[in-house]
Amino acid sequence: MELRVIEKTETELRIEIAGEDHTFMNVLKGELLEAEAVSAATYDVNPEQSGGQTDPVLSITTEDGTDPLDALADAATAVRETTDSFADAFEAAV
Amino acid sequence: MMIPVRCFTCGKVIGEHYEEFEERSQRGEDPAAVLDDLGVDRHCCRRMMVSHTDLVDVVAPYQ
Amino acid sequence: MAQEFDVEFIEREDRKARFLVRGLTPALANGFRRAMIADVPTFSIDTVRFTENSSVMFDEMIALRLGLVPLTTPLDDFEIGDAVTVALDVEGPATAYSGDIETSDALVVPADENVPIIELKEGQRLEFEADAVLDRGKEHAKHQGGVSVGFRHLQAVEVVDDVGEFDDQEPQILRGVIETPDGEVVLTDEFDNDLTNRYPGKELDVTDVPGAYVFHVETDGSLSVDELVLRAAEELGSRADELHDAVTV
Repeated sequence: MELRVIEKTETELRIEIAGEDHTFMNVLKGELLEAEAVSAATYDVNPEQSGGQTDPVLSITTEDGTDPLDALADAATAVRETTDSFADAFEAAV
Repeated sequence: MMIPVRCFTCGKVIGEHYEEFEERSQRGEDPAAVLDDLGVDRHCCRRMMVSHTDLVDVVAPYQ
Repeated sequence: MAQEFDVEFIEREDRKARFLVRGLTPALANGFRRAMIADVPTFSIDTVRFTENSSVMFDEMIALRLGLVPLTTPLDDFEIGDAVTVALDVEGPATAYSGDIETSDALVVPADENVPIIELKEGQRLEFEADAVLDRGKEHAKHQGGVSVGFRHLQAVEVVDDVGEFDDQEPQILRGVIETPDGEVVLTDEFDNDLTNRYPGKELDVTDVPGAYVFHVETDGSLSVDELVLRAAEELGSRADELHDAVTV
């Protein structure tokens, strides 16, 4: 997973996440939107046939002085916690 | 030619059931009941079996 | 904010299962579905070296068929890119089956023994050596472990009223799984997918239950259902870890 920051201010971040697709990006976006400090989050990805930019570009806007990179790190942690708790619930039902 | 290994649409492995399906329906069993029994439930997989013709015997003389 | 999930099995076999998950978001449900299809790796024959092929099919056609044969995949013991050598030698008159494929590793064997590869006539012979490679469904569909993996909303059925005495009742066809007013979870197959069979003469209201999804998971035999689901969750989790580490450095 290669990251490339395209634009970064105190409240906004645009970052390219190489090698990922909708599978992970949509889950991550969903998790970001759950966060209190994130006012907007979205990602954009072009199909392979389009040529040019095909890696997803994630955009985050935060409020209350939260650094968007911190919000991203927190969201990643939250995704891990969520998948772990899903795996636990599934194993419990097996 | 030979029965495809998997269903074109869903990817379920159907090749393994073909010989049994063919034999049992030749013996007069209801093909639909045989397919149900073999666990070939979806209509995408069923058409693979029902519509297939083995052509190996036809092309065998031509190397 | 670790959510609480609740998983309940509705149907459960080794290669096929239907289970209800409560507490999911649509994004997560779809993430798991996509991960099960394209991100959980399985073994599949990739490169074939033919020694002799005097059958009626071309080498390429046989190689394609071989690629589609599911191979058991013990994921704990292998990594993506690992290869296992397999071989086959059958002389006609006979049919070469997937079960005739011999492998160099006892853990990686054809999941189904009775898939016909090619029927051989008198004097025809098929002999080859091949590499089975571990890779993801994203790379090639033959590496997909999940077959017809999907999910639907759980649908809650409510009895609103009795149907008017002289009204005709239209069939009300539903697919998937419903939750009855007493909280029972019922497969629609049980009443032939027509709600009026279960609630004759009643006026019904059907709504999607928020956050409750019914997954239908089927595998091609390379993995068990449990393994496929847990691996898919792990796959998403490990990417989250990777992102976390990349961001916090």
